[in-house]
Parts: sequence; C-alpha cells; structure tokens
Amino acid sequence: MSNIDRRTLVKGSLAAMMAGAAFSRAAFAQSSEPILLGVSGPLTGPNAQYGTQWKQGFDLALDEIQAAGGINGRKLAYSFEDSQSDPRQSVAIAQKFVSDPRIVMELGDFSSPASMAASPIYQRGGLVQFGFTNSHPDFTKGGDFMWSTSVSQADEQPLLAAYAVKRLGLKKLAVLHLNTDWGRTSRDYFVKAAKEHGAEIAVTEGYIAEERDFRSTLVRVRDANPDGLILISYYSDGALIARQARQVGLKQVICAASSVYSPKFLELGGEAVEDVHVGTRYFPEDPRPEVQTFIAGFKKKYNGVEPDAFNAYAYDAMNMAAAVVKIGGTDRRAIRDAFTKVKDVSSVIFGKATFDVESRRVKGAMNAELVVRKGQFALWDGKPT
Amino acid sequence: MGTTMLSLRGLTRRFGGLTAVDAIDLDLAKGELISIIGPNGAGKTTLFNLVTGLDRPDAGTVRFEDQDITGFSPERLAAEGIARTFQLGRVFGNLSVMDNVLIGAHTRLRAVRPAVPVIGPLLELGLALLRPASVKAEEERLREDVKVILARFGERLLPRIDQPAYSLSYANRRRVEIARALALKPRLLLLDEPTAGMNPTETTEMQGLVAELKAEGLTILLIEHKLEMVMRLSDRVIVMDEGKKIAEGPGEQVRGDPKVIEAYLGHGLTTKQESAA
Amino acid sequence: MSSWLDYTINGLIVGNVYALVAVGLALIFGVSRLINFAQGSIYLVGAYIGWVAVVQLHTPLPLTIIVVAVAAALVGLIIERFGLRPLQNSVRIAPLLATIGISFVLDQLVMLTFSPNPRALPSQLPDVRFQIGGGTIGPLDLLIAGVGITSALLLFVFLRYSKLGWAIRATAQDRDAAMQMGVDVNRVNQAVFGIAAALGGISGLLVGMYYNQIDTAMSLQATLKGVVAEVVGGAGNVPGAVIGSLLLGLVESYGVAVFGTSYRNLFAFLLLVVVLVLRPNGLFASARQAPPEPLTGTFIAPSRPVRIPRWALLIATAVFAILPLLPVSFYVLQTLINASLLGMLALSLTLVAGTIGQVSLGHAALLAIGAYTSALLSLTFSVPVGLAIIGGGLMSAALGTALISPSFRLRGHYVSIATLAIGEIVSLVILNWESVTRGPIGISGIPPLSLFGYELVSPISIYWFSFIAMVVLALLQGRLLGSHLGRSFRAIRDDDIAARAYGLSLNRYKSLAFIFGGFAAGVSGGIAAHLYSYINHETFNTQQSILALTVVILGGLGNVVGAIVGAVALVGLPEVFRIAAEYRILIYGIVLLLLVRFRPQGLLGTM
Repeated sequence: MSNIDRRTLVKGSLAAMMAGAAFSRAAFAQSSEPILLGVSGPLTGPNAQYGTQWKQGFDLALDEIQAAGGINGRKLAYSFEDSQSDPRQSVAIAQKFVSDPRIVMELGDFSSPASMAASPIYQRGGLVQFGFTNSHPDFTKGGDFMWSTSVSQADEQPLLAAYAVKRLGLKKLAVLHLNTDWGRTSRDYFVKAAKEHGAEIAVTEGYIAEERDFRSTLVRVRDANPDGLILISYYSDGALIARQARQVGLKQVICAASSVYSPKFLELGGEAVEDVHVGTRYFPEDPRPEVQTFIAGFKKKYNGVEPDAFNAYAYDAMNMAAAVVKIGGTDRRAIRDAFTKVKDVSSVIFGKATFDVESRRVKGAMNAELVVRKGQFALWDGKPT
Repeated sequence: MGTTMLSLRGLTRRFGGLTAVDAIDLDLAKGELISIIGPNGAGKTTLFNLVTGLDRPDAGTVRFEDQDITGFSPERLAAEGIARTFQLGRVFGNLSVMDNVLIGAHTRLRAVRPAVPVIGPLLELGLALLRPASVKAEEERLREDVKVILARFGERLLPRIDQPAYSLSYANRRRVEIARALALKPRLLLLDEPTAGMNPTETTEMQGLVAELKAEGLTILLIEHKLEMVMRLSDRVIVMDEGKKIAEGPGEQVRGDPKVIEAYLGHGLTTKQESAA
Repeated sequence: MSSWLDYTINGLIVGNVYALVAVGLALIFGVSRLINFAQGSIYLVGAYIGWVAVVQLHTPLPLTIIVVAVAAALVGLIIERFGLRPLQNSVRIAPLLATIGISFVLDQLVMLTFSPNPRALPSQLPDVRFQIGGGTIGPLDLLIAGVGITSALLLFVFLRYSKLGWAIRATAQDRDAAMQMGVDVNRVNQAVFGIAAALGGISGLLVGMYYNQIDTAMSLQATLKGVVAEVVGGAGNVPGAVIGSLLLGLVESYGVAVFGTSYRNLFAFLLLVVVLVLRPNGLFASARQAPPEPLTGTFIAPSRPVRIPRWALLIATAVFAILPLLPVSFYVLQTLINASLLGMLALSLTLVAGTIGQVSLGHAALLAIGAYTSALLSLTFSVPVGLAIIGGGLMSAALGTALISPSFRLRGHYVSIATLAIGEIVSLVILNWESVTRGPIGISGIPPLSLFGYELVSPISIYWFSFIAMVVLALLQGRLLGSHLGRSFRAIRDDDIAARAYGLSLNRYKSLAFIFGGFAAGVSGGIAAHLYSYINHETFNTQQSILALTVVILGGLGNVVGAIVGAVALVGLPEVFRIAAEYRILIYGIVLLLLVRFRPQGLLGTM
C-alpha cells in the first residue's frame, strides 16, 4: 500500500506540473489555492459550440459562487480540457484528472461515447464523473461515481407527449429525431408516452446530425398524414426542419423537445418557427428566482445575449458541483457521498434538485409549455395555433 | 527453324476512330529473333501490349505454342513464360536492383506459393511469415540466380545491387529491366527499344547481350529504332506503319523496299531512324 | 403518385445544391488531376464572407455575390500559389494531402474568427413560393439552379472558345505537351483555381441563404457530397458533374422515399461505389481512353529510409516496456496506450497505403468492425476477451478485405475516394443495423480487458497489453516486409502494370495486404472497445481515418518504425499542446502542410 501511495504522489506532482499552465480564467484564491474541478468537453471539432456554451454557463455560476464567498472561504475553479468529444481524448483526460490530486471531481464529457469511454477510468480512479448532459440511460450504470443532472428522457419525453397529445390535442404524430443515442432514446420514451395518452404514431424518421436537407423526409411525413410534427432535435436542425416544413407547405402543429430552446432557434428559424410549441424546463418570464437570477445575470455578463438550454445545464451543473463540494469537502470519496446528501439545490432546470440515490439522477424536472409568438418564446396561453 | 512459338492472326486494336493495330499476322519460330520497326505511332508497342495481355484485341487471335492465349491476363502470360520490357522503362523505383530482378523471378516461386485452390493465398501469407527451410532455401537459390544474371552486365549492376532503382542512370534502369525479364526464365522475350537513350558504347554492349541471348536459343521479339542493330540481330524484320504490316522479310530485303522508304519519308522521320525515340 | 413527383423535384433541388460544389471540383480535377479536399472550406469561407457582407455591411445581393466571388477567388489563388504550386514536381499524393491540410487550416481559422455557433444568413431575395407538385420552390431554388447551369454553360463556352480555355483544355489533356506548345501552365492553374474558388464561395453563400444557416461543420459535408457527385459524373467532366449532382440528389431522395431518412447517405455512398466499380471514369466519361502511363515512382516519394540500428530499436523497446515501473503518471501511460492503439491502426494503414499504395481514407471502418465484433463476441457469446479481440481482428481482416475488393482495380485517388465511401457505408450500416449493433444507442457494458481470466484494469496492465500487442504486430509486419510479399507489395505500388507483367496478381496481393492490415486494425479496435466499455457508430469516425493517414505520412509510407513514431508524436504532441486547446487543429493542419512541402517522404522515409 505504501508503495502505491508514494507512486500516486509522484504521479500527482508530475501531472500537476503538466496541468499547471492549463488553469481556467477563474481568479486565484486570496490565501489558499482554489478548489479545482476538471471539465472534459469539446472546444474544437464538430461539437465545439457546446463546449463554448458550457464555459459561459460555468463562468456565470462561478461569478455568483465567488461573490457569495466561495466554498467555505476558498474559491472554486475549473480546468477545461478539450476532448473534441472524442473517446480517445476523453480517456486520456480522465487519466490526467484522476492522477491530478488537485482535481476533486470531473464534469462532462459532452457526448455519450466520449463520456462513457472514460467512465471506467473515473470509476476505478475514484473520481466523480458528473456527466451533466449525458442522458444515455446506461451512463450512470457505469458505477457509483457516475452522476448526472441531465434530465432523464424517461422524465422529459412524457411531459412533451402530454403537451402534444393532451394539451394541444394532437392525435396522429410524426416524430423526427436526431439519430444519436440521445435522440433515439428520447424517441422511444416519447412514442411510448404518446401512445399511452392515446395518440397514434404515424411515422418516425431519424436523421444524422450533419443533415441539412429534409424535403424528402417531409414528403414522407406529409404522406403519413399526421396532425402534428414532433421534433426531437437540437436548435440548428430543429430550425432547418421547421423552415423546410413550412416551405413545402406543411401547416401542421410543430411541437419540439426542450433541446431546441435557444435564441438561436428563433434566429435560424425566422418566421418558420412562429407558433412552434416547445416543452422546456424554464422560460424567461418564469417567476422562479433561480431562473430570474440566471437570465438577468447571463444577459448582464454576455452583452444582453439570451441564454439557451446548454448554458442553463452548465450553470446548474456548476452550482450543483459547488453544493456538493460544500458538503463533501475536497476528498473525492466524500464528494461522491455528498451527492447522496445534497438536498434541494436551487436549479434552473429542476427548481430544487435532489438526487435519486438509486439511479444517481435527478427526477422531477420543471415543465414549461412555451410557444413561439412574434419571434419570442412565450408561455403558451392555451389557445390553439 | 523449329516449331512455332508465337502466332498472331488478324490481330486488331482500335482506339475510337484510329486503328492502332490493323490485322497483323505474324509467326515466330522457336529460337528466332524478329524485329519490328516502323515510324513512331505505327502501333508497335500496342502490338506488344496485345501479346502480353496488357490490352485486349478487338479482333484476331494470339497463340503461344499450342494454346490460344488471346485475352489472357498479363499475370497468367507471365506464368506461361512470356517476359517483356517496356518502352519507357518501368523499373520499380523504390526497390533495390536485387528486389527488382527478384520480382522477375516471381513466377518461379514454388515453395512459398503452394498451388492450393482457395486457401492458396492465405498459405502464401502464412509461409511468408513463418519461412520454413524450404522457403528460405528457395529464396536463397533465386538470389544466387539474380547475381548470375546481373553478372551478364559486367560491373554495371553488381556493385549497385542494393541501391534503389530510382538512383540508377537511365541506361542502368534499362539493364535492370532486361535482367528482370531474364529472371523469369522466359520462353519468349519481348524487348521494347532496349537501347533507347543509350550512347553508342552502351548500345553495342546491349547488342552483344541480345546476340548472346539469341545464341542461347531464346525466342525474341524486338522493337528497335536503331537499324544497324536490327540488321545484325534479326532473322526477319517486320515493318509496321499506321497499324499495318507493310513489309516482312530478311533485313536487307526490307531495307530496300520502296514501301518502307515511303513510310519513313512520308512521315518525315528518316532522321529518326538512327536516333532514340 | 404525386409523391414521386415531389421526391423527384426535391432530389433535383438538393442535387442543384451539390452541383455548385461539384462543378468547382470537376474543373480543378480536369486540369490538375487533383481532388481538392479544400473546396468545401472555400465554400465555408464564402458563406462567412457572405454573412459579413449581408449582416454587417448590408450589401445588396448582386454586390454580395461579387464580394464573395472576388474574396473566394483570392483565397483560391493563395491556395494555388502557396499551397499547391510548390508541390508541382512532388509526388502525386502530396497535393491531395496538402488540400486536406489546407481545409483544416481554413475551417479552423473560420471557427476561431466567427466562433463555432451557427449563424443565420438571411436570404436577400423576396420570399415568394411557387407551387410545384405537393411542395413549393422559391426564388433561391431558381437562383441556385441558374448559377449551377449558367456556370456550367459559361465554363463550357469559356473552355471551348477562349484562348485561356483552350490552354486549360490542352493542359488537362497533356500537361507536358501543353507546356511544349508554350502554354503557361501556372497561369492556367491560377485561372482554374480562381474560377473554382469563386464558384465554391458563391455556392457557400447561396446554400447558406437557402438554409438560413451557416456553421463550420458544413465544410466537410459539402466536400463529401461534392466529391461523390463529381466522381459519379466523371472526374474532371464539368457538365458531368452537374448531371452527377442531380443524380446523387435523386438517389438520395428516392432512398429516403423507399427506406427512410436514416438510409439517405447510405445510398449516396453506395451510388459512388457502384459507379467507381462499374465505370471508374464516371457515367459520362468518354468511352475508353488509353490508361495514362504512370512513370515509376511518381506516386510515392523516392527516398532512402532512415536505417535505425537494431540495438537502438531494442533499447527503445526495452525502455517503453519498463516504463510503468518508473515514476511516470497514469496520464502519461494512458496517452501511450492511445498511441499504441493508433500505432496499430497506423501499422495497418502504412501497409496498405504505404507498402502496396492503396491510400485508404476510410480506415476507421476497420477499427469499427474489429470493435463491434469483439464487443459482441464477449457480451453475447461470452467469449473470453483475449480471444474476442483476435476474433475482431479476423473479422476485420475478412470483412474489410471483402468490402474493399471490388475497388482493387482502381488506381490513385480513386482508391482513396472508394475507401472513403466504404468507410462511410460501414458507419451507416452500424447505425442502421439495429438488431445487431443496437444502432445509435450503441453497445455499453463491454467487459474490460482480461487475459486468462484476470481482468486488466490498471493503466499499467492495459499499457503492457496494448504495447505488447503493438510490438508483436510490428514484428510480424517487419517480417512480412522482409519476405517475397514485401517486395511484391512494393512492386505493385511502384508500378502495377509492370508488376502484372511479371505475374503479380493485383487482386491476390492487395487482398493479402488488406487481410494482414485489417487484422492489425481490427485488434486495435477490439482493444479500444474493451478499454472504453461503450462504443457506438460515432466512436470510430472519419477524423480517425485522416489522423491515421497523417501518422503514416509523418512516419514515412510503408515504414513500420515510422508508423509507431508517428503515432506517438501525433498522440503525444496534442497532449503537450493542450494549453493551446482551440488552436490544436490549426497547428495540426499547418504541420501537415509543412510536412508535405518539406519532407514528403516522412520523418523516417518511405520504405
């Protein structure tokens, strides 16, 4: 044992030397070093935009955390390593974080292949992997060090189905989904819930992330003769589909998953996304204080830009990390145990977030039924569109 | 002369509107050397390509010894014992002189290329990796053979045996090509302008070598521009122009043929007769 | 019935979009015999310049088009002058790699300048729609079609009747002859790149407006579809590229109609492979042209490999073998594990691309086959992991060779295009064959590496496992290269026609190279599957293939030690440069360019 300890120590110092220059912009502590979180996510490559959005959310949350006195007097900081969401790089980053004693827990990665490839290393290394965007149902099954605040699709999709079927009264649905692990899982939960509500699924179409042209897909949709289109999409592809649907003359109600919730969706979709319904976890006029603080703070920090869903996930994740570290301190195992103890952490997405110890996820995401009106997201007033 | 080795009947190849080889008949007896001459673009190299399987005729037949080999693949023809050199010189640039010539001996590999159907290639891979004694011995034997062949070129190639071919002089590359052809132990050798680009000394040397090969009984089809060499070596000469055979016979007879003179003069290429292409 | 009309119209509309890129590619190929992988990047640059013009400067449409055309043409001229012209007398593979490097650099510069967030590029045309069939088309559809057809026509007239056009055609037919006739080939190249780049830029602008969306990921997709369309139409054939594009659009649209959206790209790439195999010169290529006589050694840089003494290799191996016993961090070990995995892939690729000259751009597919086979064997059939990995290697060898075998008769760049397509096809089959591969959900819970019942979970044991696997494969490959197969492979690479004339069957030896190489890549994929515990169709992507190719070029084509050195360098350097996170791909592209320019034979030289 002593041998191992010595080795770990040596390794730690080496890794610390290597990582020394890779600090985030977070300020230095007054007297002691900041408590350091590792972030593994894409800053380059095809998913680079999401890493950038994470940073915005993290930095906002950190500003607030430091302003409130940090973690028991110490500052919280993160070291962001670019993985390109590539499993080969995320495993190296995992090993780097695990062997760097300053890192108390890890956040990320973005995609499931990158996150889940690194899980065995975090699990064996005894470092919490907080995959806050990993909705893959198997992610938290990787071990007791895997935790996630990603809204479980088992939770979210029934809400969307209820919105579409019960509230909007749609009876025959066409489901278009991103053909990734997330989109596919979501589709399955959605279809199940929608059927339970008594709707018929006329057609489901999976498309790859790089797809730009949906005209032929939409002919299939038209021929299935649905009364509503369900988009399980991100904002960029969601906007493309909405535009092309209107261009080819489809006038059905469109109802989209919360992942399209972004000012970019409005910008990219233009007039075509008018009257699109979106089931989200929060909305700008939401009176909840955590939402108002988040949106006001975000606009202030980023020149009036509206935050989107990924900003919110990252913001929530950093706040959750702070809450956990407050309880667990800087010991990695204690931090893992702290995940079972945190209660009612204020959260944009969940209102009050508490982990379900069994699934290591948070249940009970908030629900807001929005619709795009005059180029803005607004709470749906119950009127048909 | 003895039995017929190669026999062409009505061999024809068209490219679009152009007939590059037009109904050529030819018989080559065992041990005979026939030269094919003619102005540039007469179809000589295309004829070689048709005989060696690199191109398929539109009409006509090629017979080698007792079988019809029309349309056979080049690799099969190599296995039958037909070797050729190329007009532009096609050595394997990154291979050493030794390896270049060993490729010539490829069809003679037996131990490492068991003639087993279907799994033969896999056995070849396995044997190449395991290298049992029989395979090693065969490789050694061939390497000795190569050295013997290279020795025919005096001190031209032997000292450069491990150098990559791209580093050789032009003339030496032509020699490597001929050495490679000889390594196949051919029964029919097709030489496409073996002296192209060589100076008079080198040409004489090459002429001597071809004469030696002929004396050893090798059957040879030669394309050559240098008429002096053609006259000395050939049993018969065939003259081609615009794809057609316009004359055939012993050298001296062909040389005086008015049609031949016309063909060369008509193309304004008389001066080319003595120079490289 | 009316739906079929709609599918047809939609196919033609999207084909239209592809045509804009394909025409530029065809023009460049026609003159330079080069598939310009940077065409999509010029398209990207055009889109962003258009964004600046429209959104920031509020230029009217005609001016926007002119601004974009001029700016993109300038980029094209710069690429030609500084990226490609210095490579004129270089090996044939050099310009191809240079265009890949240039595309990295351009894409990354755009991303750094404009951030990776997608942007809206509003159309400047009135929003009127005309009803056709069940759908509608707008003025932008007509403009795109107009630009596509007009540019093809203009090019046709220009090529046929202008003096420069004559020079371009002469150069395309026979570069040397054209030079002898006094054609200034450099000027021709410049003109061609300028025109092609202007077209590429305009197409980026129009397509961006068409979708009201531009982002940095659009570059690769544009190149891929453009290349498919161009090759289908007959590389270098400008009108053919337009027809090829329309055909591609139709095939995709009908594919969606019959099988569903997720099969769309599958049909695009199948079309490409079928055309390549049946009509390698494209559907509309002139009936039959005599094959160009490749001069020897033009594809591979002639070089003398650096001879590394045996004792040095032994010492290096020994050092790496005992590395875990020294005080090095697990992070370093993990990085070296990654290097071993990439090293095995590079061994495979250096054999098929370097030794036998089949430059594969889809090599990650072999990883995927090995990974899925090994994962499924161990999960579904409880095969011990060690055996499952070997099973993955064997499956990769067999299936990989079978898939690529129809392309054995292709040469040069066509091989690269075919392998690129096959790589995409494998990935799409994995995505769609849900009953076996579990589709996009992927396979999770893959058991960790184990040997004789002992689980290898510490980085030290995993390091030894992958290191030993790599060394064994390297030794085997070294032995292979020393056999008659080594020289046969290299002979086929240097001159396949002469090789055939000496009895070397191309099918047989290319198969053997792919069998051996497929095994190495499959083992690498198998180990990766057990290391990651989770894989899906995105785990082994095109980026991996390109990375492996860069490793192979860096190390020296065909060079076994070079492949491993290259893998260590290309895995290690980005880790060292983690500080420069956002700039890594940029640096990587520049390194590739410099390498191609100044040391095309790689660090250790071509074998």
